[in-house]
Amino acid sequence: MERARLMGHKRDYHTQRQLLGIIFIIPTVLFLLVFVIYPVIYNVILSFTDARLMKPDFSFIAFDNYKKLFSNMRFLKYVKNTLIWTFFSVIGQLLLGLSIALLINKKKSGTGLRSFLLIPYVVPAVALALVTKWVTNGDYGIVSWWLNSLGLLEYRQSPLAVPGSAMAVLIIVNIWRSYPFPMLIYWATLKGIDKELYDAANVDGAGTFQTFWNITLPHLKNTTIVLAILRIVWTATYFDLIWLITGGGPAGTTTHLPIMIYQASFGTFQTGYASSISVVLGLFLFICVVFYVKKTIANDR
Amino acid sequence: MKTNIIKHIRDDFWFYIMVLITVMFVGFPLLWMALSSLKPSVELFKMPPQIFPKNPTLLWYKNTFSNSTVVRYFFNSFLVASSTMIIDMVIATLGAYSLARFSYRGRRFIMMTVLSAYCLPPIMLMIPLYRIIAALGLNSSYLGVIIGHVTFTFPFSVWLLIPFFQKVPKEMEEAAIVDGATSLKIFSAIMLPLCVPGILSTGIMAFILSWNEYLLSSVLIISDTMKTLTVGLANYISSTEIDWGAIMALGTATTLPIVIMFSAIQKYFVEGLTAGAVKG
Repeated sequence: MERARLMGHKRDYHTQRQLLGIIFIIPTVLFLLVFVIYPVIYNVILSFTDARLMKPDFSFIAFDNYKKLFSNMRFLKYVKNTLIWTFFSVIGQLLLGLSIALLINKKKSGTGLRSFLLIPYVVPAVALALVTKWVTNGDYGIVSWWLNSLGLLEYRQSPLAVPGSAMAVLIIVNIWRSYPFPMLIYWATLKGIDKELYDAANVDGAGTFQTFWNITLPHLKNTTIVLAILRIVWTATYFDLIWLITGGGPAGTTTHLPIMIYQASFGTFQTGYASSISVVLGLFLFICVVFYVKKTIANDR
Repeated sequence: MKTNIIKHIRDDFWFYIMVLITVMFVGFPLLWMALSSLKPSVELFKMPPQIFPKNPTLLWYKNTFSNSTVVRYFFNSFLVASSTMIIDMVIATLGAYSLARFSYRGRRFIMMTVLSAYCLPPIMLMIPLYRIIAALGLNSSYLGVIIGHVTFTFPFSVWLLIPFFQKVPKEMEEAAIVDGATSLKIFSAIMLPLCVPGILSTGIMAFILSWNEYLLSSVLIISDTMKTLTVGLANYISSTEIDWGAIMALGTATTLPIVIMFSAIQKYFVEGLTAGAVKG
């Protein structure tokens, strides 16, 4: 009797529980539908229209925006800037993140240090942009002064005013801002490597470099692939830092696709045209995201 | 034996040198911002620059905070970030619990959508969101920018929270079922209390992301009185006459509360993030 009652209760519980799970996911689904999925579709639709910033209505013009984009001579140049910005930023932050992870993994008491080294992750981009402009100020900036003392920069000049070095400054600042994420993920991966492997290598008389090459590196392969994809997506679309430091200048040498999108939509009010640029950028990134999501979800979760 | 000790000392020496270089690289911009905000004009514009202020002053802070616009920016940022945090915590807690502990049709698909949304950068949402928010008439209210901030913080929050719910042992739930607890009761009396640290730290992370956000804030707010700190600060840099001391003071005042908040929740943040990402 008692047992049957309990079984009945368990069955009731399960239907009731199933219902709760579905009710709980509803806000998430609704929000995703209205403010994420719909905007993405809307963006694609807008790219085939002549929509302008302040006008609610628009008409379809088929592929005109895309034709205009691909015949724009500057588009190719901005794609190149995007690639340079993304490539060096991602390589730099992965390398720096890994080096620091290896460093703090050496000592057990690395937590305090790790906490300190995570700070750039939350520093507002605006504050970072302000400091960058201050230290690279042509008249009073300390970095400009250092570069001048080393003979790398003319007197009273800002590295942001020189085409090549402006991009270099942006990439260095971006690496400063974004290495903590890779550092953390690499650090967690390093922690997960079986200690016995190292002990065995030690017994076999393997040197530091050999151990790193044969044990550590293979274990970091998957992490590196996932990190690289994620960071490529975020770096190629990251707007704030460049916009706030150089605004895309001097002479368009630091203009990348996000800035091109912004200028098209809020500078010249061509919403439809701007949407077509973001669709092109989005398509490229979509491939990366699908790959990332598949790889992450496939591993359980 | 002796060579071993020497090797140890030598290893330690290089270790600390490397740590020192790293700490200097990471600390320099923040330290320079803080030090600059304490220097009077004479020292600020001295060439060659000197590292430490000779006559430290709080004048820039006094000037900055006696400006009612600046105070307004702080208020706006606080309002937007805390609203984002609360909405985010509610939706993400329910969603993450459902995704972590239930199985139903479409769960995997929702999970993939959340993860894709997490990868979706603000620049891709900017144009459609601007139009949607304008069409809803929300671009002259705080709600517009709050919605904008929730769109990019909440997928991250769901993702961070899932491992916290997954970690609660199944046995606890089963024991409660035997005791006759309803599923809602199990959620409110077992799951929620056990996951409070995770939920709180996720919420604070959302606060931080919202506080720091620039692009959507600059686009989705039309009214001057509703501008957030990041937008206000950015306007200062683009103005022709830059008051460096005041800007450094404002920059420091914007950054410091965030760094303190982050230090408080870091442990949980690291836990949630590494649990979610390492499996790659």
